[in-house]
This record gives sequence, structure tokens and C-alpha cells, in this order.
Amino acid sequence: MVNRLLAVLGAAALFACSEPVTPPDTDTTTDHTQTDSTVSGIQVDVQYHTLDNGLRVVLSRDASVPTATVAVYYGVGFRNEPRGRTGFAHLFEHLMFEGSENLPGGTMTNLIYNAGGVQNGSTRFDFTNYFEVVPRNALEAVIWAEADRMARPIIDEENLAAQGGVVENEVLVNVINQPYGGWIWIDLPMLANENWHNAHNFYGDLEDLRAATLDDVQAFFDTYYAVNNAVMVVVGDIDYDETLGWIEANFGNIEPGPPLPEIDISEPRQEEEKFGEIYDRLAPQPALGFGYHMPERGTPEYYAMAVLDQILVQGDDSLLNQRIVNEEGYASSVFGGINLLGNMYNYNGPMLWSAGMIHGDEYDHEVIMADVDEVIEGLRTEEISQEQLDRAITKLRSQFYNIVDSSSRFGLADLLAVFAMFDDDPTRINRIEEGFDQVTPELVLATAQEYLRPTNRSVLRVIPDPDGTMSGEE
Amino acid sequence: MLRSNTILMAAAAAVLTAAPVFSQALPRPDIGPAPDFELPETTTIGLDNGLEITFIDFGLAPKVNISVQVLAGNVFDGENTYMADVVGAMMEEGAGGKSPESIARAFASMGGDMNVGVGMHTTGFSANVLSEFGPEAIARMATVIRQPDFPESEFNRILQSQIRNMTVARSQPGPVASEAYAALLYGEDHPYGQGLPDVGQMDSYTLDQVREFYDANYGAARTRIYVAGRFDHAAMEAAIRDAFGDWEAGPEPDVPPAQIRGGPVVQLIDRPGAPQATVRLGYPVAPIGTEDAYRMTVMNAILGGSFTSRLTSNLREEHGWTYSPGSGVTNRLGSSYWTFNADISTPNTVEAFAEIFSEIQTLQLTPPGEEEAGGMRNWLSGLFILQNASTGGLIAQISNRDFFDLPQDYLETYVDRINSVSNGDISAVAAEYLQPDNMVVVVVGDLATIGEGLQAFPQFADAEFITEEE
Repeated sequence: MVNRLLAVLGAAALFACSEPVTPPDTDTTTDHTQTDSTVSGIQVDVQYHTLDNGLRVVLSRDASVPTATVAVYYGVGFRNEPRGRTGFAHLFEHLMFEGSENLPGGTMTNLIYNAGGVQNGSTRFDFTNYFEVVPRNALEAVIWAEADRMARPIIDEENLAAQGGVVENEVLVNVINQPYGGWIWIDLPMLANENWHNAHNFYGDLEDLRAATLDDVQAFFDTYYAVNNAVMVVVGDIDYDETLGWIEANFGNIEPGPPLPEIDISEPRQEEEKFGEIYDRLAPQPALGFGYHMPERGTPEYYAMAVLDQILVQGDDSLLNQRIVNEEGYASSVFGGINLLGNMYNYNGPMLWSAGMIHGDEYDHEVIMADVDEVIEGLRTEEISQEQLDRAITKLRSQFYNIVDSSSRFGLADLLAVFAMFDDDPTRINRIEEGFDQVTPELVLATAQEYLRPTNRSVLRVIPDPDGTMSGEE
Repeated sequence: MLRSNTILMAAAAAVLTAAPVFSQALPRPDIGPAPDFELPETTTIGLDNGLEITFIDFGLAPKVNISVQVLAGNVFDGENTYMADVVGAMMEEGAGGKSPESIARAFASMGGDMNVGVGMHTTGFSANVLSEFGPEAIARMATVIRQPDFPESEFNRILQSQIRNMTVARSQPGPVASEAYAALLYGEDHPYGQGLPDVGQMDSYTLDQVREFYDANYGAARTRIYVAGRFDHAAMEAAIRDAFGDWEAGPEPDVPPAQIRGGPVVQLIDRPGAPQATVRLGYPVAPIGTEDAYRMTVMNAILGGSFTSRLTSNLREEHGWTYSPGSGVTNRLGSSYWTFNADISTPNTVEAFAEIFSEIQTLQLTPPGEEEAGGMRNWLSGLFILQNASTGGLIAQISNRDFFDLPQDYLETYVDRINSVSNGDISAVAAEYLQPDNMVVVVVGDLATIGEGLQAFPQFADAEFITEEE
């Protein structure tokens, strides 16, 4: 499973399933207990329980479509993987599809597909998830299957070898055999961050991937895949008591694991602008990307940064698209955002706001950066208008609805899971819009002054190198 | 996965064990009958000028998804490959005297963007806005669609931007393979077989050609509007009548007839040093709506079109040679083709082809068992719910039905039709359509390593070989 980490050029949303046939994941209904047509105020009905063994359980009922979405999140991601084993969290995720005591081989996959469902998993900075969308009649069986996978997985040398090959092919198809492979979502964070946990190649160096052993697999499982390091979400056409009963019966007797190892993932305040270059044999045009360290998640400045993201790069009306694409014609589009491997909600630690473009080779990167600087400096010297702020918040709301509102209900399950995992409070989903509403033009200006400092920035160029002469690989 | 159980038995020595094995599994729960699922109500209205409007009531969120689809896609490009794309891009450069910036701002204030998507048959204009702004969005979209300014000042920039996108596409193995593959199936003279234009050709395009394409292909009788979500019917209908009611019908759509051709033909495109081979392998199959098309749908799911399919189990799960193999049917007017695609690690490409041929032949000779085939029919039935559980999904499904002129109850009867495909039917369509003498293959990869091995396959003995540098 394991969706490809990111669509080719980095702008796309994730969670494209790796299955060849996937349901469209646009917008649809969710559980809005408040169904009046006011613009603001999504109200999701949320039930939150913690079992005696530490498993956190979030349930949300929405009977609009007769399906249920099950998502199990483990509190382990790229940042936790051991040194010398880059890419291991993601490789491990693949291995969790290889079978368990009562569902050996690929029989869990068969159980889900034969019931008319789909499944997938993904690895991100701060979590690894496994999820299924099934007709509601298959819900109890899927809960049973996830419990078997958590308590009794079976992974052997052959699984490790085969999935090592699959992951290697995943890296080849998404990074190595592509122009611009991974530049802005792997290389830029590696340039910008100082702490190894944030600054390593999380897709994995191929040598590291090949070096993984079953002992590594066992140690990683024992350390991180404990019931008390997991959140289970079920949303959809469900009965609350019945669903909780099934979860208690199947997960309640799993023993909790030891306390998690503490790791320091903090980043120092960046004081000097950084520059990096990548020579790309496959790229026909240069690319230019830049990233700034974000304010801490959940702070007023974080919400102000989300407004700046809207103003600078989201949508055709954004300032950088207007300047770079429409006025100057340097590039066909400017893309970017907070957390390119997800969204502004589903991470918990240091993060970049980044933006990038593939630009015509007749335009010098310094000329382009001068335009970028002019746009950004404008936001650091003058307050935005109330009209600009209102428009940004309308866009944020609409995007938030789109995340929450998908046919698989996966966006909703994801937010409930991460708010339970990071904040121990999945009802936070109903207060997100309050965060936007507290943003003022003054706060946007102050946030731009501190966080859009050039000295808080890393700039990465991709330079076409068709013959390998510049990189010396000829 | 029937086929991979053996892996587990084989290596019993070292396995991952869960730390404290205190917990016992409960008995496996039964899966009861699938729930009923009904498609939402739709209403279709025709205006005097030929424009059709379909309303789809779905969902609880206060948003409305509007899609205006005009029969102005690449199939009308003629010799000017990609012209529909250039026109679509120019239509975003201002309309009715309004600058692109002011149009973009207006849509942003409604909580959306207006997107222009150029497809093979239609060019689609879509906006997904907060419901209260539905009528305003319609008015703005009508301006963009009916009164494009086509400013001379922006033309060169748009052209260069399109050329840049195309250049990037050509540097990726996937688009290169798909382009060559379509050309083999339909020939380079038909838009179905045209891939990307070359830079010189695009550089020669003029703004007059853009206007000519617009005049020849835009009009009310070539347009369908889909409105899905939670919205006020009367207000939206009034807004559409007001904005589009006096639009001229426009010229009759004239799709050039296409002739699909099978192989046997194998095109090898060299990408020196490539770590993977990018593969397209396919055959012409029965057009959508025919009895055989339903059978192909189930056949495809079993062979390569689902995660539990035989080709995925074999190439990915058993061997680890590829990450995301897949297969599917592409529909064109009057013809369709089935394609298997994969990016396979270079050292394993030749042996992977042997496995692909073997899986195809096995399915042709032996009907699948009830467990496997019944599971796939269930999966397709469940997938149908997911495909229709969003405004965007519903618009895609219903507009597809309309475009291919399928029966009005096509979607309502789909699941029953899938469930009536027998296990024998599955092998029968595989045998009928997946014939070696009709096979079309493209491989983009490191020919120094894989070229000879591929040429030696007995399945390619009668095939025409085309070899070129990328």
C-alpha cells in the first residue's frame, strides 16, 4: 500500500492510494450535526474514549453514505527512525501489510477488498497510519483485523526482502527516475533543518534501506507499535455503543508497551539565510524553491502564517502567482504551503512553509528572487487590508471544509486522529475556525516580520545538468 | 491473496513476534449482507439554445460544485496539437473586460478557484464555492466562457508557459511512454493518437488560431452544466438562464472518426541508465456500454486493476519488482483499449514480462474460482459507492454517462450488471481481447540492459519492432 510519498512535482495533496483504481476523493458530506447553511461553524459530532491499556478511541457518526472509515495511527514517523536506517519508518509501514497470525500473507487485504472496501497506509513526520473504507457491514471484521495486526503481526525475511524491493522501486519511480525528484519535499527540509531528526532523507538512502534487518524490525515494533502509542478512529455510518464494544473486545486485552524513548526534535532559531543547489540530469528547466521555519503549531502566529500562506501562494489570486506567473511570466505556476507532505494540521514539530516553481532558463534565479523579496517585504512593512484578510480566511475555511469533506471521510478521520494524538483532544476540530478568526492585520504583520525574515529562509535551486558535467558524475 | 500464502510457509525461521503474547484473538466476525445504496435524485433541464443543466442534490456541507463542460477538448485540435490547451489557458487571461486578477479575487472571496481543465473530449470549467455564492459563481463563469478577451499582450507568455510544461512532461518517462502508446493505437494523424506537440509547432501558433478554435468549438448546444451539492434550485436555475440563456447554439460538434489498431507492435524507447523500465502493454477492447465492457471491468479488476489483482500480487507482493503496477480501460468515442502499466526495476524487467504473459495466459485458460471472482464483484460494488459519494464523483460519473450516450439507468443498473458477470465470462473476454497478435507494447528504459531480452520473447515473434532514442 503506502501511497507514493508525493506526486511528481510536490504540490499535490497526498493519500493518493497506490491502488490502481481509487475512488475520487473530492468533497462530500460529513457529519455536521449543525446543518444550517451558515458559512462558518462546522460541528463534527465527536466521542472520545481512552481504554485502560492506553488506546485512544475517537468515534464520529455520519450516516449519509453507508460506509465506515477505520484509521489506526501510531505515534511514530520519520523523525523517530534510527540513525543509519533512513527510510525505516516507511519501510516498516510496508511490512505491516504482510500479515498477522489470523490473517497470514495478504489475507487482510483480501478480507477488505472482498467486502467491497479499500485500504492504504502512509508514513509522515510524526505518525504512521493504516486505514480502510468499507461498507458498514464489514466494520466489525475490520476492527478485528486491525487488532490482529497490532497484537500479532508476522514478518519474515522474505517479506522484508520483497517489501525492500517495493520500497526501492517506490523511491525510483518517485525520485530517482524523475526530474525534480523530491527536491522540495526531501532536499529543502534537509537543507533548512539542523537537527538530524528533521534533516535526514526520510524516503531513505538506498544503502540504508538495503541494510535493514529483522532485528531492526523487531526493535522498531517493540518500541513504537504499542497499543498505548496508538489512536483508533472510526467515522461513518456507525452505532456508537456497538462500535466501542467491538473495539474494547478486540483491543482491550492487548498489553501496553514500555514508555517511548524521548527524542529532542527542536530546531534552533535560524539566523542566517542558507543556500543549496542540486544538479539534476533529468530536469529540462531550472527550479527554485524556498522555505521558512514555521511558528509553533497552534499559536496565534501559526494561524497568521496560514493566512500569509493563502495570501502568498494559494490560488490564482495569490500575490506570488500574480507576480511570478501573470506579470513576469517566469513560471507557469508557483505552488507551496505548510507541510507539503500533508496539511497545516497533521504534523507536530518543526515545520517549513515553503514555495517553489519550475522556471524558464532564460530567467536568472537572482532576478526571480528579487521579485519574491519585493512581494514578501511588502507584507513585512505594511499591514494587509481587512479585505485581504477576509478573503484569505474565506479560502482557509473552504479548504478546511474540503479536507473534512471527502467521500472516503479520510480527511475527517485524519484530523480527529492527529488532534487526539498530538493534543489529546479530537474536539479541537470544532475550534479550528476560531483560530483563524483571531488573526488581525497587526498579527499578520508581526508574524511576517519575524517568520518571513530572509535570515529564516533556505533557498534551493535545481540546475539542469543533462550531461552530468556540473555535478562531476559524467 | 491466494498466491502469496506460500511465502509465509517457506521461511519459518526468523519472524517478527509481538512482545507479550497475552492477548488471544477473538473468532473472525462474519461479514453480513452489503447495505443498499441509492444514487441521489437528479433533475435535468434543457434550454432552447441546446444547453443542458443537471442538478444533483447531495451532501450536507454548505458548498456547491459547479462544472461547465464544453465539447471543446483536444479531439477538436485538428492538426494543431494542444490547441485546446492553449485556448483554455488564454480563457483564464481575462474576460468581459475584467482582469484575471479581479476574476481570481472574486472566486477566492466565494471560497473557491475557477479551474479550467482540458480533456480529450471536453474542456471543463469548474468552481467549488460556498453555497451562498452559487449564483454569483455562475455569472462569473459565464463571463469567462462567453466573453474571453484573448489579450494579445499575454499570448506569448501563455505560449511559453505551455511549452515549459510540455518540456517538463517530456523529461518524465511516463508521459513519453503514454504518448508513444497512444500513437501506436490511433496513429499520429488522429487527436486520440497525438501526444504532445513539438516546440517548433507550438511556437508557430497565433492568437488568430486561438480565436478560430474558440469560434468553432464553443456554444450552448455543446455545453452541459452540472450543479451538485447543497443549493437553492430556483436561484441556480434563474442564474443559469440569465447567464447562458441567450448564448448562441454554436457549431455542431464534429469528432473526426477514429480507427483503433492493434499490434502486434513493440516500441522500445531508450532512456540510457534508467533504473526502471516504464511499461505500457495493451489491446483494443469492447467499447463502453456493451455487454463485454462489463465483463472487461471484472476481468480487469482480477488481472491488474485492483490491489489484490494477480499482476499486483505477483510483480509487487511476491517479487518486489515494482511499486504501483496497474491496469484499466480507456474509453474513446466508438472504441476502447485496455492497458497494463508499471515501472519495473531494470534488472527484473525481462523476467517481469515473462510473469505478465503467464498471468494473462492463465486467466485466459482457466476461469477464476468463486472466492476470487466473487470477491472482485463485491469490491467493484463497494467501489461504486465510494465513486458516487462526493459531488465531484457524482459529476464525473453522470457526465461520463451523458458523454458516451449511455442509457439513463446506466448507473442505477451498474452494480447488477457487474454482479451478473460469470466466472466463465471473465476468462472468455480475456481470451477474446487479450490476443498476442493484437498486442501493443511500449517500453521506455535502458535498452542496453533490457533490449535484447525483450526482443527474444516468443510472444513478440510476429511483432513489428520500433526502436528509438528518447
